[in-house]
Amino acid sequence: MSSVLTYVGLSMVLFVIGAVGVCLRRNAIVVFMCIEMMLNAVNLAFVAFSKLHGNLDGQVAVFFVMVIAAAESAIGLAIILSVFRNIESVETTDAGQLKW
Amino acid sequence: MFELLVLLIKVGFVLNIALVLGSLCTWLERKGSALIQDRVGANRAGAFVESDRWYLKPILPVIRMMGWLGVINTLLCDSLKGLWKEDFVPEGTSKFLHAVAPIIAVMPIMLAFAVLPLAPDFYLFGYRIHPRVAPIDAGLLFVLAMGSVAVYGVAIAGWTGNNKFSLLGALRAAAQMISYELPMGLVFVALIVVYGTLDVYSIVEQQGDLVLGFLPKWGVFMQPVGFVVLLLAGMAETKRGPFDLPEAESELAAGYFTEYSGMKFLLFWLGEFCEIALFALLLALLFFGGWQIPWVQLPEGVWWAALLGHFVLMTKVVFFCVLQIVIRWTLPRFRYDQLMNLGWKLLLPVSLANLVLTAIVKVLA
Amino acid sequence: MNVISFLIGMTAVVSGICVVGLRNPLFSAFALVVNLLAVAGLYASLDAHFLAVSQVVVYAGAIMVLVLFVLMLLNLKSESGRRLGFVRCATALVVGCMVVMSALPPILAHFSGMSSSTVSDNMMSSVGTVQAIGRELYTKYVAQFELASLVLLIGIVGAVMLAKRKNVELAPRPGGLVGGSK
Repeated sequence: MSSVLTYVGLSMVLFVIGAVGVCLRRNAIVVFMCIEMMLNAVNLAFVAFSKLHGNLDGQVAVFFVMVIAAAESAIGLAIILSVFRNIESVETTDAGQLKW
Repeated sequence: MFELLVLLIKVGFVLNIALVLGSLCTWLERKGSALIQDRVGANRAGAFVESDRWYLKPILPVIRMMGWLGVINTLLCDSLKGLWKEDFVPEGTSKFLHAVAPIIAVMPIMLAFAVLPLAPDFYLFGYRIHPRVAPIDAGLLFVLAMGSVAVYGVAIAGWTGNNKFSLLGALRAAAQMISYELPMGLVFVALIVVYGTLDVYSIVEQQGDLVLGFLPKWGVFMQPVGFVVLLLAGMAETKRGPFDLPEAESELAAGYFTEYSGMKFLLFWLGEFCEIALFALLLALLFFGGWQIPWVQLPEGVWWAALLGHFVLMTKVVFFCVLQIVIRWTLPRFRYDQLMNLGWKLLLPVSLANLVLTAIVKVLA
Repeated sequence: MNVISFLIGMTAVVSGICVVGLRNPLFSAFALVVNLLAVAGLYASLDAHFLAVSQVVVYAGAIMVLVLFVLMLLNLKSESGRRLGFVRCATALVVGCMVVMSALPPILAHFSGMSSSTVSDNMMSSVGTVQAIGRELYTKYVAQFELASLVLLIGIVGAVMLAKRKNVELAPRPGGLVGGSK
């Protein structure tokens, strides 16, 4: 059991790294990538818990998270692209206006 | 300990097969293109070699023959030339990524060989030997995954080139590889529907059966459309043949590896040829019965049957290598919109329809 | 957790730090690819074979290639402005750790109740082969599965709508060559 909980600890570390990245970085694409990393950390915890509980529900949940992440990345990158077209930058601090 | 030894031997064997097939393709490409274009091709290096050394005397005719056939030129001289060339790194890019890109381009292809069986299982000294490195359950998916990782080598190479042509080549290559992965994946799904497994070994085993009493249960008879789609998609994945837009020399200098020289450049080529061999192996295993000889039942688990099966498989693989090279030197290059149309508007709907049809037949039967 | 999965975990952590720490977004993206592949390796070591492979196909093979595409097309420079202050980093780290640590007690409380024999039984029975996952998806979770396909469809349509350039009326060039999106 302790060995599987190590994976949970690792997933926490990854989650914290991702969260710190979201807070610190200003490039929208890097922020997006950090969010992906946080999703992955949660997925890892799901798989570890699925292992502990002895059923596959956790793994199915990870599958759905992957589906959502794929859709989210398509939309998110499209949004970043259209922001870049308007303000010629992808830094979150530059996108401060509500209207242009 | 014995298991580890067997595993190491298997790794060496599979890598050897991959590299030998890759170099065979190199030679076939040089000599084959010469034949197709009505040239003579490489025939000098080593063809007139003379020596008084006693240990070279008996093999001199063989060396001369190899030289005359161009084997020495394409395999030995060219690689030596690559080793001695200046290793040029463009200014203003990451040296690390520039060095790592060819390795990333080759590695996934070598890894994909690990899940593919090269002969039927057999018993040796009472041990059952599986002639593949990693007998994993999701073998076909693994091949697909490695195909998608191979994009990175190309993308990094194009970016570290630090010029427009390299970057354009890399973008073209990435778009092309992703586009053609979809029909490939759908063909794999249709095959899984037919054979009910993702394990390549079990798929090949099932192809030894007969359908309708006389036809071998080969993939090409069960999935003729799938075979054509996978052949086209595989050639697009290798970025060759009529699909060599990423390295179109008349438009992009040399595409994503414009800035590469010496051994790094040769590594890209090696990867490309190994990918040809990989797809030939996939086609032979999935669609042409692997090591099965039609209407002949080889005894199971005997070493000579495994050896015979291996040679049968390799014959099929070489046939598909030759086929890909002939297509590459016969057809002119597509335009980019034609390439994308073929992928998205023809192959994708066709493979989808094929999958639905296969599923319906499977349910009804 | 044996030596190999420990090394893979360390790779994941180090590459994760690189994602946050490297200033060039392209290097961040490459680091994230390494991170995702490492997590795929961890899935494999947890017997989730299907997830390990689909992690490589979906994340490494599709999502990150898309990100790389965008990064290469935008040709961004390294992040401008002042360096990240130590105080800011430390504060973010401490706050993040506190948030995550608050989840730890319930987890430990939940699993400390399980006897080790049930756990080892459970570990045997949760091997995520393709067949097992497929059976779950197409029986127990079939409605969610179909909804997920709908989400993907909406994602495609939305991405196309967002990324489509409005007003692409490029004037014909004097030379006679017509530029434009068509």
